[in-house]
Amino acid sequence: MEELINKLKLEIIDALNLDGMTPEEIEDEAPLFGEGLGLDSIDALELIVLMEKNYGIKLANPADGKKIFSSVKTMAEYIAANRSK
Amino acid sequence: MKIAITGAGAVSAIGLDKAETLASLLAERSGVGPVRYLGTSHPEFPVGEVPLSNEEMKERLSLAGDKPYTRTVLMGAMALREALSEAGLAPGDLADVPLISGTTVGGMDRSELYYKDFISPDTDAHTEYIKTHDCGATTVLTGEICGSFAFSTTLSTACSSAANAIILGANLLRTGRVEKVAVGGSECLSDFHLSGFNTLMILDRERCRPFDSRRAGLNLGEGAGYLILETEESALRRGAKPLAYLSGFGNACDAFHQTASSPDGEGAFRAMSKALSMGGLKPSDIDYINAHGTGTPNNDASETAAMKRVFGDSLPPVSSTKSLTGHTTSATGGLESVICLLALQNGFLPAEVGWENPDPDCIVPVTKVRKGVVLDNILCNSFGFGGNDSSLLFTREGSDIACPASDGAIYVKAVSKITPETGDPDFRQFVSPIEARRMGKLMKRALATSKTVLAEVGVAEPDAIVTGTKYGSVEYTEALLFSLKGLSDQPLKPTFFMQSTHNTVGSLIGIQTKSHGYNATYSHGDESFDGALLDAELQLRLGEIDNALVGVFDETTPVFSAMLAKAGIDSPEIALSVFLDRNPEGALCRLEDLKDYLKTI
Repeated sequence: MEELINKLKLEIIDALNLDGMTPEEIEDEAPLFGEGLGLDSIDALELIVLMEKNYGIKLANPADGKKIFSSVKTMAEYIAANRSK
Repeated sequence: MKIAITGAGAVSAIGLDKAETLASLLAERSGVGPVRYLGTSHPEFPVGEVPLSNEEMKERLSLAGDKPYTRTVLMGAMALREALSEAGLAPGDLADVPLISGTTVGGMDRSELYYKDFISPDTDAHTEYIKTHDCGATTVLTGEICGSFAFSTTLSTACSSAANAIILGANLLRTGRVEKVAVGGSECLSDFHLSGFNTLMILDRERCRPFDSRRAGLNLGEGAGYLILETEESALRRGAKPLAYLSGFGNACDAFHQTASSPDGEGAFRAMSKALSMGGLKPSDIDYINAHGTGTPNNDASETAAMKRVFGDSLPPVSSTKSLTGHTTSATGGLESVICLLALQNGFLPAEVGWENPDPDCIVPVTKVRKGVVLDNILCNSFGFGGNDSSLLFTREGSDIACPASDGAIYVKAVSKITPETGDPDFRQFVSPIEARRMGKLMKRALATSKTVLAEVGVAEPDAIVTGTKYGSVEYTEALLFSLKGLSDQPLKPTFFMQSTHNTVGSLIGIQTKSHGYNATYSHGDESFDGALLDAELQLRLGEIDNALVGVFDETTPVFSAMLAKAGIDSPEIALSVFLDRNPEGALCRLEDLKDYLKTI
């Protein structure tokens, strides 16, 4: 899981173009949206694109993203349980 | 002054002219269905297509020859011709009539079809369509089909483009610049739009259901709608019969987010309030609201919040006719204005189809056409990405709009520009890295010049933000086209689509400076900046605003420059902001001397 979390952090930095940010700066359990990193609805859509491209996971309802993307850890857990590639 | 409407024309999935549109509205007939004409990788989404091929449209317009006509031009010409004809204006009568039009992606329907040829150095196939790519060319070509207009310009504020074109036209009348003006907008379906909206996950796979608790997004549509606005005096002199009147309007910026409306609908609230106060009406005077009502969870809840703020517990009947036509994006302000006009003239409330489940956060729309009602005053809402929100007030009887126009001087107080010669500043002083994550260089440059100018004059929140751009964010538009055409490994990202909208820069400045005032974007070829300056000047003269931040922003890429070069077009690359007001103190020059002044810096 730790390996996936670290890989995911790099992918998030790349997909969201978080220029100059390092994986160490993103805490595993810190909220991605609102407080924490301060991401928004478009970032959530970008993460949906990321999950589909890199892990073959298709999310039909953007509202489902809310729970999945609450932190990098929850996102990694969801990917581990649902990935098709 | 009373602003009469002496002609109107409409084309959409529910009718090729006003008579067909009226019949469909009265019969509650939706034009939304499976895709038929558009080449798309997303046939799973129902759309509201105009039931004609491009060739059939050309036949209806009796167009011969091989001019590069895009679908947006053809639909626009059909609606504009109908409006002119009703107003009794022949093609030769337009020497003193400007054409003000709205469109979002201009000639994208051809660009996406021929894009691989456009960017290939090995072929000249379809090169003639490269010059129809920009929004301004769409307006010019549409105008040429219908006659010789005095001049034209183009608004591109996403889904409020046509509504804002109507507002500029009204201000041209109010300042006495002209007595008649053709206003509206046109937009055809494109795979660019369908795929782009799909990345935002706001397309419904079923027919859209605005304000329903189970609504799941919008259906894209296409169409055009134009009005002839005319001073009542001119109409009476010509013996042209006023069909109804434009008696108020409001444009405000939600200044919240580039693709989401604020929970309290601040921009919509301000736009509706302004329209009412200009028309001298109370909320209780409104008999019907044609809502923006796209069917997305966000829009409908936000618009409801705004309507409740304006109208309290006594909401007039509301419906969204997008359930019939689909969301015709930039054309909605024109098309739905014509629908409002038909409702006023024929005394009926247009209904929604498909609404079933009440949502505690939404209004309950009209779901059955109500005939035989007397409607005096109607509000028509059009909201665009970036929070470019506009509301128009149509009335059966004319009502005086104040026109305190002044001829006094307008001054340029500060200028800032970035060009290839000046080079880029360190953007970190203007925008944080986290904020910059979705900003290409065009947006960063625009924020840099805008914030520099505002700091210089010591104004945090300008009364108006008006921008011009010929091609918008080329970087993101190109990335979207590359993904769409399979020319890159990148998936089609929502950021590409969101930033490809031409008003993305103007609305970003609004969001960053928290400016809820007037906000509009012009895209009219090399005259985009002129359009923006004209708009600001009219409003300053009318006393609608005390100051304006005006700019022009264009960028290029190697691929884009090479594409334009094939058609003999230079690629613009500039970020320029100017601050205008009416106070001579500390002025750099007068507005009329701006072009000369810019040559000296």
